[in-house]
Amino acid sequence: MKKLFTLLTLVCITACSDQPLIEDSYLDSDLTMAASIYLPEDYLISYANPNPTELESVKPVFIACHGYSATTFEWDEFKVWSEETDSYYISQVLLGGHGSNYEDFRASSWRDWQMSIIEEYERLVIAGYTNINFVASSTSCPLILELLATDFFNNHLAPKNIMLIDPMVIPSDKTLPLIGLIGPMLGYIDSGNTTDEDEYWYHFRPQETLQELYAISKIARKALEDGIKLPSDCSLKVYKSIQDPTTDPVGAVLIYNGIKTAQNSPIDVEMIDSDLHVYTRLNLRATISEKDISNQLNTFTDFIERTN
Amino acid sequence: MSMFEIQKNYTMKLFNYIIGLGLVTLLSSSSVFAQTDIINVGVRMQKASGLYWENGLDFEYSNKSILNDKLFFGFSYISSRLGTAINSNAIKQDNYILSARYYTRKDKQLRPFSKFNIGYFSADYGSEIFDVLDNTSVLASLEFGLSYTFIKKLKLFSSFGYNFISGDGMNGPGTLYPIFIQSTISWNLKS
Repeated sequence: MKKLFTLLTLVCITACSDQPLIEDSYLDSDLTMAASIYLPEDYLISYANPNPTELESVKPVFIACHGYSATTFEWDEFKVWSEETDSYYISQVLLGGHGSNYEDFRASSWRDWQMSIIEEYERLVIAGYTNINFVASSTSCPLILELLATDFFNNHLAPKNIMLIDPMVIPSDKTLPLIGLIGPMLGYIDSGNTTDEDEYWYHFRPQETLQELYAISKIARKALEDGIKLPSDCSLKVYKSIQDPTTDPVGAVLIYNGIKTAQNSPIDVEMIDSDLHVYTRLNLRATISEKDISNQLNTFTDFIERTN
Repeated sequence: MSMFEIQKNYTMKLFNYIIGLGLVTLLSSSSVFAQTDIINVGVRMQKASGLYWENGLDFEYSNKSILNDKLFFGFSYISSRLGTAINSNAIKQDNYILSARYYTRKDKQLRPFSKFNIGYFSADYGSEIFDVLDNTSVLASLEFGLSYTFIKKLKLFSSFGYNFISGDGMNGPGTLYPIFIQSTISWNLKS
């Protein structure tokens, strides 16, 4: 009830607001941009190594996809952790509409967000990479689930592994379904990010994008209710914090019940003893515990073991 | 499925069966009721905003001596098993609700009402993996709506409701949503 009153108060206060006040240091401004836009070769394997040798083409490639309003920063720690090895590649995708400015973000749809994932996947396939894997966090998860549900991979080389971190299927904030009603009155929502976070996440969340966020999570949920079958030789694992202020842990139940392997077996799920959303990203957290560090390390290690 | 889960499912099915049988027996035995008693039985269809259809049965009792036909007491059982979860992978969840409904505009065809519900919610997650998550909760909700009498014995109730307790990702079952709408088609068995 308290949440509803807060929301209604917000509606009343901001009903007449149009544009947020964007500071130059915000990712939302025209002056700040995610580096993966102007240096794609530092983030995308299809740019960094478009002509792999035969040996390179069979190494695992992890396409790492971030969440709503975030950037490739969300997977930087996985890349840093992997720096010592050359046995696999990490390709960090920046979702469409993300990382540039507020207006680009506001104009983007979930299909734009998804397109960056599709494009990198197709570039890697054309380049000859054969061991492609996804690690996806939060909103990237329903974007990939939608590809599975629409049989996208039936006409493409199927990924070997799909690993979903804190998937956005059921929002923790149960007022999100009302966004179509109250969103136009709100205009946007202030994320309350810290100054450091403003460099890597949009500070303001346009209501149009929140509607898109709700739309893709609903599409994924409906697809799971109808049932999804994985392509042959493709496995999927969900890693879910048992407490999560952004995506409800019950989403893992829906994915478990809704997806079967090509052999009609259940998928893998690991419930993580954590209260962080996207617990694999620890940089810029206010506080982190030994348990958080251990959870991150165990999950990164598990990613690698699943590709061997 | 563990022995505990099998036993729990069996107990819940037995509980539903006993309640259903008890109500049918009670309602078919008109001698149990006084001349002034009012009994309504109906079908309740509920939709959580952003989630499932949960449908089921609704029983209501009142007596003409209680607040002059303005206060009714009821029991409802609604479940996604009779809604979205039919032929789908939606989570199977059950709601057992006791209610008190207060009407205004006595003897009118269109009557506004408010209703207070308390009850018990239980969701079946289907695997031991999810034993770490909350799957039960107390229910407490308020509804505001209208009832419309089509013919003497047939009524339609439609209302907007708010669950005071719902899942928020940190606590509570994640498929227990705060906002819902419902419609009940009710037949007057005795008045």
